[in-house]
Amino acid sequence: MRVSLALMLLGGGLAQTSVAPALRIGAVAPDIPLILTVLLGLKRGPEVGCLSGFAVGLLQDVAAGGFVGAQALTKALVGFVAGLIGERLLVGNPLVQVPGLVLLTLAEGLGRYWLLQLLHFPAAFGEVMLHVVLPQALYNGFLGAAGVLALSVLEAHRSGSLWR
Amino acid sequence: MGRKGRDWGPSVRYRKYAVLVSVLLISLLFLSLGTRGGGTGKPGELLAFFITPLQAALSKIQSSAFGAWSAYLDWKNARRENQALREELERLRIQSLQVEDTQRENLRLRRLLALRDRLPLSTLAGEVIAKEWGGWVRSVTVNRGRSDGIGRLTPAIVPEGLLGRVVEVRARAAVIQLLNDPSSAVAVMVQRTRTAGVAEGEPGGAVRLKFMARDGGGAQVGDLIVTSGLGGVFPKGLPVGRVIAVEDKGSALFHYARLHPVADFARVEEVLLLTGQTGADLLPHFSLELLEPGA
Repeated sequence: MRVSLALMLLGGGLAQTSVAPALRIGAVAPDIPLILTVLLGLKRGPEVGCLSGFAVGLLQDVAAGGFVGAQALTKALVGFVAGLIGERLLVGNPLVQVPGLVLLTLAEGLGRYWLLQLLHFPAAFGEVMLHVVLPQALYNGFLGAAGVLALSVLEAHRSGSLWR
Repeated sequence: MGRKGRDWGPSVRYRKYAVLVSVLLISLLFLSLGTRGGGTGKPGELLAFFITPLQAALSKIQSSAFGAWSAYLDWKNARRENQALREELERLRIQSLQVEDTQRENLRLRRLLALRDRLPLSTLAGEVIAKEWGGWVRSVTVNRGRSDGIGRLTPAIVPEGLLGRVVEVRARAAVIQLLNDPSSAVAVMVQRTRTAGVAEGEPGGAVRLKFMARDGGGAQVGDLIVTSGLGGVFPKGLPVGRVIAVEDKGSALFHYARLHPVADFARVEEVLLLTGQTGADLLPHFSLELLEPGA
């Protein structure tokens, strides 16, 4: 289980620099590691969410050549919060998971912007939110919905209940 | 989620916060090291050492997958385009054939109409609706009959010359015996020498000139044979055919010749039925160009 989780995180982290650009719509690309982090946090709890977010964030930081630790920190936080939400609320329904993913993406964007501001990131808040964070949050929601749907179909197929 | 209501022990309860704090501290450490060094720092380099080959491999897999997908899409598009072009080509081919057919029909009808206007006797145009092309009988059926005033033995012509005569009349149709029908016999003459004879059809589909008197000019290859007007069935001067071979049997009383009919029996589609009578020679009313072999 841990090996598959590690492989999933490694794949998800690296997919951001290889697969995600191919999935872009205009200038907006999804944040696959973040989707993975949120879904894992919701399903496995704050510990797994936090560690997953840290791992994929670190991979992204290194792969993308930014500040190492920035995304590791924000994604770890998001994974932790997703895990806490998963513990306290019934989030098995995709109708909760998908808006949650959108909101957590926005939160991660806000957190990352705030952190980067400490490191003298030059871009204006409004522009970053309007052109980067918000479109990416919506795209993540859409992709997350597709992922959740695919997973539920897969699980139903595995349990043999799809056609019953 | 099912975790609600579980009995979490204090160590487990606080472990998650410990994990969070550790992770945040490590992240901040990385950030601090990175910002001080002006780049990604040693931890970044170490991680990059491991993940760069993986990134390259993933990128290769991704580009191969997308390349294959792109090739598939190209192939699919090319196939669709090919299909559309084939259909378009087929449509245009049919259209072209229709245009050609219409043009040919137009030309035939123009010729027929021109001949009809030139002839000094009443005529009626008819369309061929059936053909009998066996060895025993060679005939065509036209869509003109008793109701149109057509009678037996009415001559039928085409712009090139004589086609045959009506042998059977029905209410709205008439059967025309063709010149090359084995029982067809038409009084003719050689246009150049005015030597009389009889053009008869043969079972093989040829037309033969028989009973041509030996005295006089006789006939030569290339001579035009026209109706003589004798017998009262066909007006004088209707082109029948050209001599393609002369058979001189020496001591026989008559010359024989093989004819190439001016009318193309196999391809005739419209005819003119000569409903009126005239004693005039009709040859000057036919276009000599059409009477040339291969016209």
